[in-house]
Amino acid sequence: MPDGSFAHPQQRQFNPYTDNGGTILAIAGADFTVIAGDTRQSEGYSIQTRYAPKVFRLTDRAVLAVNGFAADGNMFVKKVKQRLEWYRHAHAKDMPLRAIARLIQTMLYAQRFFPYYVYNILGGIEEDGSGAVYSFDPVGSYEREACRAAGAAQSLVQPFLDNQIYFKNQKAAPGTSHPTHLPLSDVLSIVIDSFTSATERHIEVGDGLEIYVVVARGRSPQGIEGIRGVQELSAQPNGDRTFILRRELKKD
Amino acid sequence: MNSFLTRYSSTAPEADIRKAKELYGEDEDFSEVMWGSTGGFGNLASGVPMFKLPSVQDPASFLRMHTDDHADPSCRIKIKHGTTTLAFRFQGGVIVAVDSRATAGSYVASGTVKKVIEINPYLLGTMAGGAADCQYWETYLGIQCRLHELRNRERISVAAASKYLSNLVYSYKGMGLSMGTMICGWDKTGPAIFYVDSDGTRLKGDLFSVGSGSTFAYGVLDQGYRWDLTDEEAQELGRRSIYAAGHRDAFSGNTVNLYHVKQDGWKFIGNYDVSELHYNGPGDVPGAPGGGYGYDIRVAGRTSANPPEGEGQA
Amino acid sequence: MDHFPTNWGRPRNDAFDAYGTYPIHQRAPVKDTFAEGVQHTQQPIVTGTSVLAIQYKDGIMMAADNLASYGSLARFKDVRRLHAVGTSTVIGASGDMSDFQAIQSILDDLVTDEFTHGDGHDLGPAEVHEYLSRVMYARRSKINPLWNSLLVGGFRDGKRFLGYVDLLGTTYSAPSIATGYGAYIAIPLLRAAVDGKQDQLTEENAKKILHECMRVLFYRDARSLDKYQIATVSAAGVTISDQIQIETAWGFAEGIRGYGAQTQ
Repeated sequence: MPDGSFAHPQQRQFNPYTDNGGTILAIAGADFTVIAGDTRQSEGYSIQTRYAPKVFRLTDRAVLAVNGFAADGNMFVKKVKQRLEWYRHAHAKDMPLRAIARLIQTMLYAQRFFPYYVYNILGGIEEDGSGAVYSFDPVGSYEREACRAAGAAQSLVQPFLDNQIYFKNQKAAPGTSHPTHLPLSDVLSIVIDSFTSATERHIEVGDGLEIYVVVARGRSPQGIEGIRGVQELSAQPNGDRTFILRRELKKD
Repeated sequence: MNSFLTRYSSTAPEADIRKAKELYGEDEDFSEVMWGSTGGFGNLASGVPMFKLPSVQDPASFLRMHTDDHADPSCRIKIKHGTTTLAFRFQGGVIVAVDSRATAGSYVASGTVKKVIEINPYLLGTMAGGAADCQYWETYLGIQCRLHELRNRERISVAAASKYLSNLVYSYKGMGLSMGTMICGWDKTGPAIFYVDSDGTRLKGDLFSVGSGSTFAYGVLDQGYRWDLTDEEAQELGRRSIYAAGHRDAFSGNTVNLYHVKQDGWKFIGNYDVSELHYNGPGDVPGAPGGGYGYDIRVAGRTSANPPEGEGQA
Repeated sequence: MDHFPTNWGRPRNDAFDAYGTYPIHQRAPVKDTFAEGVQHTQQPIVTGTSVLAIQYKDGIMMAADNLASYGSLARFKDVRRLHAVGTSTVIGASGDMSDFQAIQSILDDLVTDEFTHGDGHDLGPAEVHEYLSRVMYARRSKINPLWNSLLVGGFRDGKRFLGYVDLLGTTYSAPSIATGYGAYIAIPLLRAAVDGKQDQLTEENAKKILHECMRVLFYRDARSLDKYQIATVSAAGVTISDQIQIETAWGFAEGIRGYGAQTQ
């Protein structure tokens, strides 16, 4: 109708979607990438569980974070992993990161008319050894970026990242310039601060934080091994290395 | 085992798979090619893209109910939208200029979107409407253009490429696709632009602008356009037009991306920050008059706080 | 399409077709003569209310009352909403009881099939939960959901398992889970008593906590019953108790204005 209402009477019917809250974020460094997500899963005002992972390791150099409707997200990750395994069987190697990004686009777009209600952020190491972040909308439009936050608190976290990573609205001191890439320790501080702050101001964020760090082959992990509670996930230390770092967030 | 027996047996592994498919299975079937090199292009592997439809009476209104739309801004799934794009033909080829903002509702989802899609070295497509629709179908168009080259030993014409796209989206008409694009390139007939949208409209023309900021861009474009613009003048006109839209349209902005298509294919000219253009201009680029596009001419010497010489004293 | 350029590139409104440009696709869809005959569950009819479950020292424990309601009518007062699957798993259902019966028969078939393979393998709670979540998600994806919230609990190879799956295919695990009203009324009590103390909690205490919660639920949930069962899964296997009667005292209501029978 001209006033924007629907032409046909709308039948009240089963709604196949829900929102399970939470927030994810990823930041690319020169030769590493950090991908993080909180572990709270909620529906409405109820916390369903304090530990439901939203960040998943796909290959030695790719990590995927999913946010939105948890059932869609888990199923989507399952299917991406299946396709990556098939690729491994056919080619005897892992799919490169940029190819995984395109795979995710086509898999999301295949559901164009019944979308996955999922926001994806893919992080990892490109074939040239650089850190990369790809972010997707629910139907598969994607872009490579240096950082991205998605989910419930994206509007709280993304402006902070714009300021701290892209140095938006900041002027460098006279005679100096902003660095193009930050060191790992700075990035980790920014990630942890983003989540503690989002936990304070958003009810759907909190409980736990999982931070994955992927470091390019032959590059220094910049002292991450020394950090409290870090666990290495990679099998051999001479390839790309993946670490996981867990932190508690406030549970109220 | 005998295939007839397998079909009706309830214990063979095939029966297990059949049963599993009924219960938690999918309607989508996986083809052999998905194992191999086309792994990256999933549902296009068979040539014809396959889409899962929700099993409801009216799939289009289902989609409308759950994705964003004028009628219901509160729905959950926000798809990226946005845009001002423009392209025009002149004696030196085609200028393509776009902004880089993507919005989801009123949230600026990204300020760094590539809205010019490089289909191949001679063809560009622009992105307005649903970002995924444009990205996906123009990538798909790239595949078809390459296949055309391989089959016919010559490059596809812009007319043919755009018709391919318009026929394709027309077949999905009413399903909820949203794209307004300009297919720009250089073929045997010289520079060419076709406007194609998701309703199936396909128009050949010299000058188009598409998107929420298009009216602002047209304003600048129309007053500055001539066929015999020099390359530098044309690039400057493209830049200025997108700047004007970025300045006045809330759904457009961030940066300008400028491309120039000539006989030997397209060339990326540059990326310009809209705020920077407003205050300081594009810098030292050919065609630019120097100085900011907006600020000085409006403010310097002309405000009450800083009146023009002679007037303030009067 | 709308030929008002300021709308281009913004979310479109396909519901209004100003120029009648949909000659083909907007025609009335071809209708199957029997389309009306095949209907999907659009709302639950005969329903069960909350299911509660917790982990404890030796395994998991689950409780559900014996009522199946028909709207506000307490229709069936001896239904069993806890169901053993194999030898180390139990499931509990709230929501539509006919859909739950369908799930029971699917799972019983599954267990039988696994048994007839005779390969020495059978399904544990994690497998049953995964299977159920795939079935539930597949059905929601066909817009034909099984209208239930299910809890799956079990004990196998020295490990406890407690998981949730609902009509949307949403899943999660936690030390204490409740469905329906229980998610609001019992969960705060259960979390305080159980979370972080799973390894200390004895069977006796676990039973006591669930009993308390069932009592609180009976006081406040109008669709609940004072008869319930408890399922226990531990190394010893699955046991589902007989009906347990909740003792209640309503004397306090007399003293509360607006609660009892008194007027002003």
